[in-house]
Amino acid sequence: MAGILLKGRFPRRRLIQVVATNLARHVFGSAARNWARNLAGTAPALGSMTLLLLMTGLVGLSGFALYNLEQYEAGQASLLHIYLRDDAAYQDVDSLWDRLSNDPRVASATYTSKAQALAHAQSIPGLPALADASGSNPFPASLNVQVKNIDDMGAIDGMVRYELAVDPVTPTSYDPGAYKRIQQVVFGLAVAGIAFLCLLGFVAITVTANSIKAAIHARRDEITIMQLVGAPRWMVRGPFIVEGAITGALAGLVAGMVTFALAAGAISAGSSGFTQFAPGVTVATVVVAAVGVLLAGVTLGSGSSLISLGRHMET
Amino acid sequence: MRLETRKASQTFALGPSGQVRPFAAENPIVRFAGVTRAYGSRVALDDVHLELQPGELAFLVGPSGAGKTTILKLINREIRPTQGEVTVAGIAAHLLKGSRVAELRRRVGVVFQDYKLLPRLTALENVAFALQVADLRISDEEARDRSLDALEAVGLGDRGSALPHQLSGGQQQRVAIARAVVAKPPLLIADEPTGNLDQQTAWEIMDLFSDIAAWGTAVLVATHNVEIVTRLQRRVLTLVEGRLVRDQQAGHIGRMAWLASS
Repeated sequence: MAGILLKGRFPRRRLIQVVATNLARHVFGSAARNWARNLAGTAPALGSMTLLLLMTGLVGLSGFALYNLEQYEAGQASLLHIYLRDDAAYQDVDSLWDRLSNDPRVASATYTSKAQALAHAQSIPGLPALADASGSNPFPASLNVQVKNIDDMGAIDGMVRYELAVDPVTPTSYDPGAYKRIQQVVFGLAVAGIAFLCLLGFVAITVTANSIKAAIHARRDEITIMQLVGAPRWMVRGPFIVEGAITGALAGLVAGMVTFALAAGAISAGSSGFTQFAPGVTVATVVVAAVGVLLAGVTLGSGSSLISLGRHMET
Repeated sequence: MRLETRKASQTFALGPSGQVRPFAAENPIVRFAGVTRAYGSRVALDDVHLELQPGELAFLVGPSGAGKTTILKLINREIRPTQGEVTVAGIAAHLLKGSRVAELRRRVGVVFQDYKLLPRLTALENVAFALQVADLRISDEEARDRSLDALEAVGLGDRGSALPHQLSGGQQQRVAIARAVVAKPPLLIADEPTGNLDQQTAWEIMDLFSDIAAWGTAVLVATHNVEIVTRLQRRVLTLVEGRLVRDQQAGHIGRMAWLASS
């Protein structure tokens, strides 16, 4: 049976457009207007959050550098440098090298000449001047032994330190407590950094939650009307969460830019020295940190608003 | 199209505590069954039974602190009863979770003594705002048309662009009424709607409520205005110290009215 198909007044696309327009106006637009209006009340939250995020960015980058340093030291801890006498006979050195290469506890054994040791030292910040000040090359040749298990370091050190080819004054680089001490320092710094960030985070969340509380108070009539006419809960709360997110995003943007500027400036100013001081921290890492700070700001701002809404807004 | 109004045909009986208990038609808009509400040790409402039918205009009267506002808050699910059941437009308000209160409130228009208009919005925008925040699917054009209709219905069709401070108290209350009814709720509640108005304006507002009720919306008005309540000869619910002590049916007003109430 033929019939006439009538289109509804609101085709789907039109409906989506209407809902999107109303959402933009009543949630995002309203939040942006109120945020601008309450800027004076929001300023302390903005300041404390910016400070927190800046510290987070810098502490985060420092933590990343420390982690890389610790990883490097872990690698170094299982590398034993056996320093050779300047007048050691080639046969004695070859014999020792062979024995070490054939030892099942050893992963690899390589030889570094005096000239190579000097070249390496000259690449380390501060040491070129020392190397140049001395008339002759003060750096000894060495056999560099990568040990499979760090627990075997002591045994190998004991095996080689009285060999004829080995320097009797400073036979090896073995230091039984060095790696543990580094681990302890890194752990201490990590705990201190996290505690500091937690304290700053508490302050920032409290200040932001209070600024949202003030915003709720300032708009209590509007909230009452929205609640009484049957606006859904998410729509009443949405603008405040967006307000918090705006505060967080702005704080994150400023903190991210400052983090980037400081770290990128340090990288370009320190060049090779910076990579020794903060291994793994590159421009790409700094960009990731800055974006992370921005996202953390948005999360922190909207999260603080949610906490405040839960405590101060009634149904 | 004129909506059919339905008169409540009620009989009455005394409750266990000596209070009036009406037994009414089958689908009341509001139904209180043994409702008690306490604030700490203070009992604001004590074992209240009442029903309100579609199209009925009823007044809640009683001295300050008698529990009038508590009844309105229970209807609008601003608070929950300590005991008993509250059903509004088919929704069990006493069981309703906070996240679903909006569903109930879309069926209840509310009018306040202090109007509660948003000062930076025009009369038209105030009405349209209420419409759109309750239903995001309503377009600007539709909201404008419906808000204009509502303003015209309350006699303010030509003042849509006025800000609240440019309107008199009576006009502001009319805007508030337009806002309350624009979504066509089956129930309208008003808390002292004439408290800030002179007697002439108060009568105009009450006429509006009568018109709204005549079109099928149940209207419950909490008021202290004895003259209006007496002369309108509508149903009167009298509260004293949280107890519903009298339920006087429409038309039964005067010295011998107690004969009909209990």
